[in-house]
Amino acid sequence: MTNTIEISNLTYHKNYKSILEDINLNIEQGKTVGLLGENGAGKTTLMRLIAGLAKGAHGTIKIAGQDAVAAKKAVVSFSEQLDGFNPSIRIEKIISFYEDVYPDFSVDRYNQVAGFLQIDEGLRLSALSKGMKEKLVIGLTLSRDTKVYLLDEPFGGIDSMSRKKIIQSIIKWKAPDAVIVVSDHYVSEISSILDEVVIIKDRRIYTQKSAEEIRSQYAEGIEQYYESIYEGNDMDD
Amino acid sequence: MKFDDKIPIYYQIKNYIYGRIITGKLVPGEKIPAVRQLAVDLTVNVNTVQRALSELISEGILESKRGLGNFVTEDQAAINQVRHKMIMEQLHAMYENLHNLNVTDDEIVQYLRQYIKDRRTNKDDQHN
Repeated sequence: MTNTIEISNLTYHKNYKSILEDINLNIEQGKTVGLLGENGAGKTTLMRLIAGLAKGAHGTIKIAGQDAVAAKKAVVSFSEQLDGFNPSIRIEKIISFYEDVYPDFSVDRYNQVAGFLQIDEGLRLSALSKGMKEKLVIGLTLSRDTKVYLLDEPFGGIDSMSRKKIIQSIIKWKAPDAVIVVSDHYVSEISSILDEVVIIKDRRIYTQKSAEEIRSQYAEGIEQYYESIYEGNDMDD
Repeated sequence: MKFDDKIPIYYQIKNYIYGRIITGKLVPGEKIPAVRQLAVDLTVNVNTVQRALSELISEGILESKRGLGNFVTEDQAAINQVRHKMIMEQLHAMYENLHNLNVTDDEIVQYLRQYIKDRRTNKDDQHN
């Protein structure tokens, strides 16, 4: 198996404060990975670094063998929260914006995902509920044709039906060789779609394990395993 | 279908498909849904479904036809074997659990007879 994401000796400081320390992480082609950790553990920063959106880190991040920022941006689709848009903009305008900015954005694909998630493009950004906005973010993110999709906490504060729909759309539209990284601080809903979990604790990668291995080795759910790590009951000892 | 997150999911998918076949919801020779469709329906990872199906194929419960998909075996003996295996697994679990409660073999038989009798009567009651 080839690695789509290769991170070595990555350290990131911001305003003299350490955010990530000595991150080494390989993610194989085709995997769906849960990036787990408390709020403030560094999940979003790590994703932004992978996406080439944050700068100034030491160490290397290679995506599909590419090291340059521009090359990485072209093969990574990150779930931007659309904060840069005027709140009164209509959804259809955001879609044309994506089409203009990303040559790999497929309107055809967007329409399929949007139809499945029942997104109403006539609305203005400010009129969207939390769940609807999250669906839009997912629709836009998955409609690019890239090697890596980074979904940063896509389930925050939304109802369980929307959550299920979003999870199904991830399964439905994931290309076989694409990598999907989903970050979250609670896992029970997504655990069934994960190949692996990567747990960040105290600014470092605490562990990277196959989800099925956690189930068979510890007879534990992913949620339980994750909690036991944060509560300090190290199962590896 | 709801999965138990403490048990490997590929294993639960296998049991789910065994169950559908044994109860006749999937009949011999029937085509089962494509991997991705199954993954969406069950809300599980495509690779996990693939692993479960690969094992079912190597066990001879499913038959893979190139370019056409996966089909339930028409080998009735293989299906009977799976049914037997599933029954034995349930019996094994029950037997172990009761033994852990210090219930003797004779008592198990006795309780089981009585239990079945009671269930039958209750069922009859419901019908009346």
